[in-house]
Amino acid sequence: MTPSFTQPGFARIVGVDTPESALCHALAVRLTEDVDAEALRHRFDTAVRRWWPGPADRTPTLWSEAVPSARGTPLARHRLRTEMHRPVSRTGPVLRAVVLTYADASRDLVLTGHRGTLDPPSLRVLAEVLTGRRSPDPLTAQPLPAEVTATPRRTPSGGRRVEWGMGDAQAGDRTDVFRLPLGAAAGDPLTSLSAAAVVVLSRYEGREVVRTGRVRSPASRASEALGAFDEVAVLTVDLSRVRSNEDLLDSLSTSPDVSPQDTAERRPDVGVLEVAAAAGEADIPAELPCQSALFPLTLVLAPGADGTTDVEVRHQVRHVGAAAARAYAECVALVHRQLTERPDGLVRDLDLLDAEAGARQLALGLAPESAPPRPRRIDALFDEWAERHPGAVALRRGDAALTYGQLRERADLVAAGLRLRGVRPGDHVGICLDRSLDLVVTMLAVLKADAVYVPMDPSHPPQRRAHIVRDAGLRVVVSDLPDFPGGDGSVLGVAELVRAGGAGGPAVPRRGPGDAAYVIYTSGSTGRPKGVEVPHRNVTGLVAATRDDFALHPDDTWTLFHSSAFDFSVWEIWGALLTGATLVVVPYDVSRSPTEFHELLVRERVTVLNQTPSAFGQLMEADRRSAAPLAVRLVVFGGEPLDTRVLLGWFDRYPEDRCRLVNMFGITETTVHATAQTVTRREALAGTRSVGRALPGWRLYVLDPQGRPVPTGVTGEIWVGGAGVASGYLGLPELTAERFQPDPFLEGRRYRSGDLGRFRPDGSLEHLGRLDDQVKVRGFRVELDEIRNVLLDDRAVRAAAVLVSGDALKDAATVRIDAYVVLDGQDTEAVRRRASRILPEYMVPTTLTALDALPLTGNGKLDPDRLPAPATPASPPKATAGKPAGLSGDLAEVWESVLGVSVGLDDNFFALGGNSLYAVRIGSAMRERGLPALSMRQLYLTPTVRALAADLDQQRS
Amino acid sequence: MRLAGRTALITGAARGLGRAVAVAFAREGADLALLDIAADLPGVPYPLGSASQLACTADLCREAGAGVLTGTVDVRDLAQVEQAVAEAVGRFGELDVLVTNAGIAAPSGRAAHEITEREWQLMIDVDLSGAWRTIRAVGGRMAERGSGSIINIASTAGLVGYRHFAGYVAAKHGIIGLTKAVALDYAPRRVRVNALCPGSVRDDPRVEGRMLAEIARSLDVPVAEHEETFVQAQPMNTLIEPDDVAGAALWLASDESRQVTGSVLTVDGGFTAR
Repeated sequence: MTPSFTQPGFARIVGVDTPESALCHALAVRLTEDVDAEALRHRFDTAVRRWWPGPADRTPTLWSEAVPSARGTPLARHRLRTEMHRPVSRTGPVLRAVVLTYADASRDLVLTGHRGTLDPPSLRVLAEVLTGRRSPDPLTAQPLPAEVTATPRRTPSGGRRVEWGMGDAQAGDRTDVFRLPLGAAAGDPLTSLSAAAVVVLSRYEGREVVRTGRVRSPASRASEALGAFDEVAVLTVDLSRVRSNEDLLDSLSTSPDVSPQDTAERRPDVGVLEVAAAAGEADIPAELPCQSALFPLTLVLAPGADGTTDVEVRHQVRHVGAAAARAYAECVALVHRQLTERPDGLVRDLDLLDAEAGARQLALGLAPESAPPRPRRIDALFDEWAERHPGAVALRRGDAALTYGQLRERADLVAAGLRLRGVRPGDHVGICLDRSLDLVVTMLAVLKADAVYVPMDPSHPPQRRAHIVRDAGLRVVVSDLPDFPGGDGSVLGVAELVRAGGAGGPAVPRRGPGDAAYVIYTSGSTGRPKGVEVPHRNVTGLVAATRDDFALHPDDTWTLFHSSAFDFSVWEIWGALLTGATLVVVPYDVSRSPTEFHELLVRERVTVLNQTPSAFGQLMEADRRSAAPLAVRLVVFGGEPLDTRVLLGWFDRYPEDRCRLVNMFGITETTVHATAQTVTRREALAGTRSVGRALPGWRLYVLDPQGRPVPTGVTGEIWVGGAGVASGYLGLPELTAERFQPDPFLEGRRYRSGDLGRFRPDGSLEHLGRLDDQVKVRGFRVELDEIRNVLLDDRAVRAAAVLVSGDALKDAATVRIDAYVVLDGQDTEAVRRRASRILPEYMVPTTLTALDALPLTGNGKLDPDRLPAPATPASPPKATAGKPAGLSGDLAEVWESVLGVSVGLDDNFFALGGNSLYAVRIGSAMRERGLPALSMRQLYLTPTVRALAADLDQQRS
Repeated sequence: MRLAGRTALITGAARGLGRAVAVAFAREGADLALLDIAADLPGVPYPLGSASQLACTADLCREAGAGVLTGTVDVRDLAQVEQAVAEAVGRFGELDVLVTNAGIAAPSGRAAHEITEREWQLMIDVDLSGAWRTIRAVGGRMAERGSGSIINIASTAGLVGYRHFAGYVAAKHGIIGLTKAVALDYAPRRVRVNALCPGSVRDDPRVEGRMLAEIARSLDVPVAEHEETFVQAQPMNTLIEPDDVAGAALWLASDESRQVTGSVLTVDGGFTAR
């Protein structure tokens, strides 16, 4: 494999928000007593006259500065450091030379230059000449360029976020620096450092193709030359094409193929540099390769103690925070060691974390206090409450109610009826009932009959129910539906069972808490619904894990809001009944009407509410319109990602000390919830994506595709172990074995969620969406959530959904990002314009469609199937009608044929759905027609037909 | 340190407010190009800053940790100003902060019709045109780079009138106009321009100020009596200290004021509030 190199020059590798100091470097030399001041000045004047005779304002001066303090004092060190860190002007003298004379008469010579005019070896040579240790005679200087490498103009908020950087937006231009020992290097140390940096970046970004910057002095550099000879390269490495560590090192040590075609899409986040000089004065190095940091994370190869090598890490704090920089550098050091020690090892076997760091990472996923809960059966725990306060209300729906005693009695009757009908321990019993008291009675009864309940929603299509009946082997289904599709088994009504149970039945010894309590069918994004089998102890464990923290209490009133086929209802039902609380059953039509539901919450004085964020959004609207306050003291979010920012209005009405909001991440396969994050105004203001730490007894892992833990801040796949892991998928042993794997660190197994996440330093988990949602758009990894978040940041956008369409395999250029927004006035074009200022070009939605409301599924989640076809790509009004003649007419034709939309002279290429792949096609279509050659850059700079034609015309003439 | 790594150019830096601002900036990590005429000016009835005073300011700044370049400049001469700025750029690289502080308080003390043509021209040339020339030499560089803070030292005389000070009051009102217009010129390039209006500043011997003394002399009243008049006229009943003005300048120089431009900041104990 040959990695592709591009040599874009400094201007192209630094971001728009990089300060001048990133490109300036400095050298400090202590002047010994034998260096005479007059002789130094004479040598300086001679050198300057010889090499830089040019205009007076670019001619260097030898400055001298008296420091009123002795060498080594804080003041003296401050002066030296400041002197070395001060950039030179791009348009001023090519070099700054300053002699600092300290109060003890010792002196330092500081030379500072811009890497675009003088490279580090030039400064070293100059220092030798000025101190008389080298003759100036054989030296030649490059003529000064007419224009020094331009540093891009500063923009107040330019620059792309480094995804894993955990940067501090308030840090301004601050650059922090630290050093780590790198150990011995084999071969060219810059190559092995580059290789390590590339491997770490690839793992961090979760992709095989990565770009890093590299700046070094080429081996061919003549030692007698003064000027700018840095080899500035962007290394694009495809790690899928290298096997062994040696291959990787080889591929990076080949001399660069300089390819003029740079994608110019963005600056590299990580880059490597070398510095040759030995360590300097105390903590001040004698040579500064860059005064701040050339790249957001800049790794500088520096000499260490005893002939070993150090890496000096310079990071722009705005982009890469201290913890992230250190973690990255530690990974680089570890990978570097493996690369040099095991050349024949495989690149994919390189570890980012050593044993100690790996253990630390694993500990992050464990709840602080984690005594495993005592395994219990659901029905046994319920019976204890029924024993303790039989008169307390357990269930209510409208005027009907059952006390704990009555509920136990009726469930016992139904259980006896089930047994009489032949239900044996461990049998699967279907339940397809409306949200009623009997729904809960029957669930409890099935458990009391030592069977396993399989809920089905009466509103689900009959085919789905038929699939479940077959798949779960249901011989008995409890349902009041007259047309329930029968299988081989029988359909029984509750009343019938009560009657039958009246005759009494034999009591059977119940199985243990480790046996299944229910099977809930989840519909994955692909394939048929799968039955997830969950044991009793998972549910009782969940209640035990949350009871103290949430202060769950018999005085609480909960609602059963969700469909019994959605596992959020497991938490609602048993969270209430296993803590002695009252459960209010919400009729289906009330659950569909936010206003009626709000009235119910007020009327029933509900204190514990469980909602999906989408449903809660509608409830907040209803609450705003209502004068009656809610009695809710705890809201638990689940089922889908929560955008905390929309909660600010809620806190104004219900302050945190009155109502606690908890965001919980979980999966049916790990029993409803796995984490908890309390959300306060501060989290909402920060728009946190944290779902909190693992529940006591649960355990989180964030792993790479090989199953290794990834460092803090790095995205990986979420695995969940501990008390909530289900038994598996019903009748799918292979899938079960694939998704439920032995947990090497805990008893039992851990579940591979297919969700993306990353740990924050405090062990809380950021949930970053589904692995399936992670899409590639023209080779770039795009997270739809990130786009959605940017849209939601816009004040005019109240809700947003983002999807990808098109087939990347057939034609990458057709991949399209479609966004749907609910707007507060304003038009989509304004939203698009603002988003395009923040998002990189490839992440700007191709279409933006305004809706009155986002469609929701029965479970209250976004329903992508009910989104309308997207609006056609935004296109501003056409400037001209009819086809113009000449070059612009030809151009418009080419654009139309490539882009497949009609093109006006002033339409913006990107607004028409253009992207870099289309740009390449336009270039070749123009060549085919004998039109002038077109560079990418030109198209990006003049993205309309009119401007481009004018530009090309000008070039021709 | 609020100005770490920044470079400030200050005119009229030999003594008085110029010195107070310079030392305050040095303490906050700035390096300094300190300019002063360092000579007397025919037509000004009192001695201006001296070379020795300028060197003293430079030493005070070095002791506070700053790198310092000094230059002798008459702000009435554009070529001199440009030369000094070029030298400062050679020494320090780009300039981040400009304080146009050079100014004279006299010849004053007479009614408008008693001022001579020469006296009028001299006052406007130093106090108003001098500030413009310094901005002319520095502003373009700052705009090109897309950052910078320019602080024009005006006076409460830029906001209200003072009897028998027509030239001075006109020049200082001009500074405020200049500030607002230039602020608009440079706003798109993120260069900020603000005016600072000190009230009556005590003649602190540490910075060798003599403004109040010269005003008193122009009005032919004893200094003590003049001070008393000002103290009485000021709602807070004190004189302003040079450090009070330096603190305001520091804020305008730092990023803490990064959205502040075209503003007029008074440090006058409430004198112009009524």
